[in-house]
Parts: sequence; C-alpha cells; structure tokens
Amino acid sequence: MKENKSLNQKIEELDKKVEWFYSDDFKLEEATENYKAAAKLAKEIEGDLLNLKNEIEVLTEDFSK
Amino acid sequence: MAEMPKLTPSEFIAVTNETLEYSFSGVLIEGEVASFKVNQGKWVFFDLKDEESSISCFMTLWGLKMPIEDGMKVVVRGVPKLTKWGKFSVTVSDVRPVGEGSLKKSFEILKKKLTEEGLFDSAKKRALPKDLTRLGVISSTAAAGYHDFVKILNARWGGIKVSVAHTQVQGFDAPAQIIRALRYFNERGDVQVIAILRGGGSADDLAAFNDKELVRAVAASKIPVITGVGHEVDETLIDFAADVRASTPSNAAEILTLDRKAEIQKVRQAMVRAGQIVTQKIDQKILVEIKGKIKDVEQRSRLRIGTFESELKQKMKTIEMLNPEKVLKQGYAILAGKISPGSVVKITTETKEIKAEVKEVYERK
Repeated sequence: MKENKSLNQKIEELDKKVEWFYSDDFKLEEATENYKAAAKLAKEIEGDLLNLKNEIEVLTEDFSK
Repeated sequence: MAEMPKLTPSEFIAVTNETLEYSFSGVLIEGEVASFKVNQGKWVFFDLKDEESSISCFMTLWGLKMPIEDGMKVVVRGVPKLTKWGKFSVTVSDVRPVGEGSLKKSFEILKKKLTEEGLFDSAKKRALPKDLTRLGVISSTAAAGYHDFVKILNARWGGIKVSVAHTQVQGFDAPAQIIRALRYFNERGDVQVIAILRGGGSADDLAAFNDKELVRAVAASKIPVITGVGHEVDETLIDFAADVRASTPSNAAEILTLDRKAEIQKVRQAMVRAGQIVTQKIDQKILVEIKGKIKDVEQRSRLRIGTFESELKQKMKTIEMLNPEKVLKQGYAILAGKISPGSVVKITTETKEIKAEVKEVYERK
C-alpha cells in the first residue's frame, strides 16, 4: 500500500535523513545509498511543493439560522 | 358613517401592538443612552434620545452583548410596543455602541471585565500545529479580506483542506453566525485550526468582534483559533481571546503556512550540505589512511635504522679490536724481516721502531 504522507511529514523525514550525515551513525559505506534516498525524497518534496494545491470547500450549512 | 368599534383597554392595546408589529416588524433606532438601569439583575431599562425626543427601551440583561452606559451613542434593533399600562416602549433584541468614542468606552469596560475573568490569560494560549492539513475558516466569502487570505495561502503552501463557513462579518447578526460556525467546527472536530477573518473597516464595522458571547465562544473553542480581523492597528476583543492574533487576513495565511519557495531553497541547501559532508568524510578518511601509512613507514624506517646502527656498532667494535695499534698498546710488538741468524729485522712497539740483528733461531717447544 502506498504511504500517503503529508508534505510536512516528508520534510521531517528528509530532515532526519540529512541529520544522519552529521551524526555518529554516519558510515561512508552507507553514505551513497542514504544520499540517493535523501535526494529522491528531496525531489519528491520539490515536486509536491510546486504542484500541491489547497482544496477549498465552502460549506453549504446556513449559519444565519 | 360606520360605527366606531368599542374596545376594552386590553383590546385596544392588543390591536395597537398588532398594528405596530405590522408597520415595524423590526426597527433600528440610533440615539444617546440616558437613565440606564438594571432591575433585579435581569431587566435592562434605558431611554434613547436625541435633541428633541426620547423613547423608553427595554431588554433582558442576557441580550446585552456589549456594555453600555449613559451618554453612549448606540443603535438598537427592536420592536415598538405598548405595554399593558399604556406606556410606549421599544423591546430591544440587540444594542451596539456606535461612533468611535462609545465603541472605545464599551470596548475598555468589556476588556477589563473579561480580563478579570481570566479569558485572555496567556497561559491558555495553544500553539498552532506545524503540520496543517485541515483548516476551518469563518468569514464572508464576499469579503476582500477572505480573498486576500486564500490568495496568500495558495501562493505559500499546498495540500490543505480548507472548509469555509460563510457568515456575516459585520452587523447585528454577525456574532451569532460566527458563534454557530465555531460550534459547527468544534462539534465535528475535523479541522486542526479555525481562522476567523475579516478585512479592514471602520470601528463600527468591526464592532461585531467585540461581542461578549463571541469572545467567550472563541476562548472556549476546543480547536485553536487564529484571528485576522481588520488592519494592523485594529484591535478587537476576540484577538485577545484567540490563541494567535494575526494583524490581517493575509498575515494569518503567513502565520499558518510555510513559504513553498523558501522550503524548496531549504531542501536544496540541505542536499548540498549532505553532499559536502560526504566529500568531507571521504577526505577525512583518505587523510587518516595516508597519515596511518606515513606513520607505518616512519616506524619501519626507525626500526631498520635502529637495527643497522646496532650492527654497525658491533662491526666497529670488531674492527676496533683488530686494530694493530690497539695490540701495540697492550704491550705487544710487531717483528718484520727475514728470521735467520745474522739478518736485521724491524721491531715496532707502541712508541718505538727498533732495528735488531738475529742471533739465533730455533723452534718453539
């Protein structure tokens, strides 16, 4: 099932991925794979940021009564 | 000539009230308050006057949503009535101060009262969620402020489901409508934040947002509320009751969302930094390896040199021991020449060289 993450969740995930590069867990052997994953997510986020639209719905309820 | 109807006082009053109700189902009257008083903690009486005339007004204390006092200019909405004692008065359903002076005075009285009640305590303020995906908006969809909000919201961010409750945002009916919309969102509980929005206007236009019941409803909202009412300089009582006050509807959109352009820049910068770190770490690793190798070479060289020095010293010692001068120093002498009786030989000692003649030669036993 495809995960339906919000834009903010994706950004938080990217932050964590980037933090790994600064952390003590950093391993050069894993860096390439992790960088590729982060870059893929960054591209996805950019796409979302450029294309995501807000959904605006005016409620049909009558608040005058 | 038709016979005139003969009525009892009660019948006359009833007919008169019917006529009045037919002619004035509702009327707005603007004037100055005089002889304001509250009876039994429930009933409000005051006169509304201008330079020439005065009429009595009656209302419930509950219906009084903004404080009024003698000398204030107000507008009332009500129905004219003849009481059973034959006195004419207006039964008031709503009253609002009008004009800057009266509005300001009413605002200050109510602000003081609600502050003392703790309605505006900063400890009660809640932070707005960072991950905003569901937003409730209460505004008039015809208002410029609402359109400003939507424009800025769409320009800055996406992926938010916005539910808009269309209400009046000025006039007598606005507070009740906004309260209903607040109740609607709170009962459904499907939005993370409620934004109450209205663009700029006169003090009279914004007076609806100083309504006591509306202020209480904002303070009681289970869902965090942000207000964006009027311009930067405008201040309404719901601003104090809300969790966050934005200076304008556009500012509310800015507070609620991040800027997508800035975020794209941040994402790109984060990736550049991650790339730089990888390069740095590779450089560091290479540097560590090179330093290790240099150290290794140094250690090996030092070891070799040490061994070589030791061997050399040993050889020097051996050579030194074989040095003829050292033998001479020990008292020995070197004999050179033919060893036969009568021949002359050369004898070398540490300090002398001697020529000697061989007298006799014989084998050692």
